[in-house]
Amino acid sequence: MPERRVTVVAEVGLHARPAATFVKAAAKAPMDITVARASGDGTPINGKSILQILALDVKQDETIVIKAEGEGADAVLDELAGIAGSP
Amino acid sequence: MTTVLAPVGGAAVGLAAVPDPVFSAGMVGPGTAIDPCRGPGEAVAPIAGKIMKLHPHAYVIVGDDGKGVLVRLGIDTVQLRGEGFRLLAAEGDRVRAGQPVVAWDPSLVEAGGRSPVCPVVALDAPAASVRCVAAGRVRAGDRLFRWL
Repeated sequence: MPERRVTVVAEVGLHARPAATFVKAAAKAPMDITVARASGDGTPINGKSILQILALDVKQDETIVIKAEGEGADAVLDELAGIAGSP
Repeated sequence: MTTVLAPVGGAAVGLAAVPDPVFSAGMVGPGTAIDPCRGPGEAVAPIAGKIMKLHPHAYVIVGDDGKGVLVRLGIDTVQLRGEGFRLLAAEGDRVRAGQPVVAWDPSLVEAGGRSPVCPVVALDAPAASVRCVAAGRVRAGDRLFRWL
């Protein structure tokens, strides 16, 4: 399955604006989007859910793995990786 | 249907009045915001459920039906790193609606040059699912909106 590994550089982590922007973009994608921490148990959560993104509680300098499958997945992943990796 | 209570007393002003575009544009979700009464006070749980996330400046309570409500205590208050906030519960705790979660003082937040306005947001909710939103004076624990 196509995936992107991204290190979150924003000081607030994947919260507030980065989290809201990420979920807004993910929600527009036709396929399922999952997000997991690259370290630890790495249990994937639904990337279209702001509740689950906030629960994942990704902090600055942590790396996440974003996955999507299907037509256009690479473009979707590039956009989401860009958002998650923005300062 | 979930009845969401005001986590703090003050004036219900709507999300559009929040000086943070992430909230005022409804990007986090629908809901409203409260301009809190100044002076020491306690922010309470807006619904019954489990404290899924607890930061000094913000918390999320998830009800048994899976609905999550985010409460933010002021704008850019993450920068205060907990100073001026005291946790009255712990992450993972089960709380009843109206139970105190964080003690804080909006006047200190304001004195530091930040807005103490508190967004209260229904997470993963379509905008139309938030109804009967209170406007004007509310006390902590008053009904703030209904989430269908």
